[in-house]
Amino acid sequence: MTMRFTRERLVRYAGASTDFNPIHYSEYFAGRMGLPGVIAHGMLTMGTALRIVTNWVGDPGRVISYAVRFTRPVVVPDDAHGVEVEFRGSVSAVDGSLVMVSIEAISEGQKVLGAARAEVDLSVRVPHRDHEA
Amino acid sequence: MAITEAHAGRRYPPTDPYHVSAAKIAEFATALGDDNPRYRGDSPIAPPTFAAVISSRAWHQLFTDPELELSVERIVHGDQRFTFVRPLRPGDIVIATASIDRVRLRAGSELIYATVDITGRDTELICTAQATFSHAREAAA
Repeated sequence: MTMRFTRERLVRYAGASTDFNPIHYSEYFAGRMGLPGVIAHGMLTMGTALRIVTNWVGDPGRVISYAVRFTRPVVVPDDAHGVEVEFRGSVSAVDGSLVMVSIEAISEGQKVLGAARAEVDLSVRVPHRDHEA
Repeated sequence: MAITEAHAGRRYPPTDPYHVSAAKIAEFATALGDDNPRYRGDSPIAPPTFAAVISSRAWHQLFTDPELELSVERIVHGDQRFTFVRPLRPGDIVIATASIDRVRLRAGSELIYATVDITGRDTELICTAQATFSHAREAAA
């Protein structure tokens, strides 16, 4: 799965998440923090990467755990194209109906997430997770 | 006084109640570029990482704790883990309670390990968010 991160996505994510850290929209503030440019919110990259798993299982309610390390920032240029981030997933462990999926996220040839893994419950009836009102 | 390893175990009061809404969930899913139908419609659930929106209110208490003397702009999110009992959904009224698990002092920075518990009605645990943050002690020369 390849996603394009543009400045528009960062604006939408800032509003939706209430994370208004200026390093995610202002070159001036990003530069003052020693960053090479405006960068994506780490949580935006983390949330996007999970789609590899949720697209596969269909129901995001089956995600029992999700963990990532933020290894490198995703620099998002101020242009029409933005930056492409490539996501890949593979099943790394199976324990009964619990499946662990390891996720890779790569931008400009570098890993932007490390040790990214999500645990999903694939049981036919998911106990204690009734989320139908 | 500034943050020290002895701050491990510090627990913060719960954040004000947050009302999870269908509108905010849909907006968040759209921001992720995710058109999964489970995030919309009559009985939506929140995307799993939506829990960070609620956790961030608790992290803010930690970051702005005057006793720790942290500079918020010098805090970098190192890693993040969520564990779910169930998905968040509209109608949930939740509070987030942060605690410092551990502090490691290093040459020019501190590593802060923090847990946030997100609980709903009747102290129902819905989600646990564990994070590490690194704080640079001084601005780079």
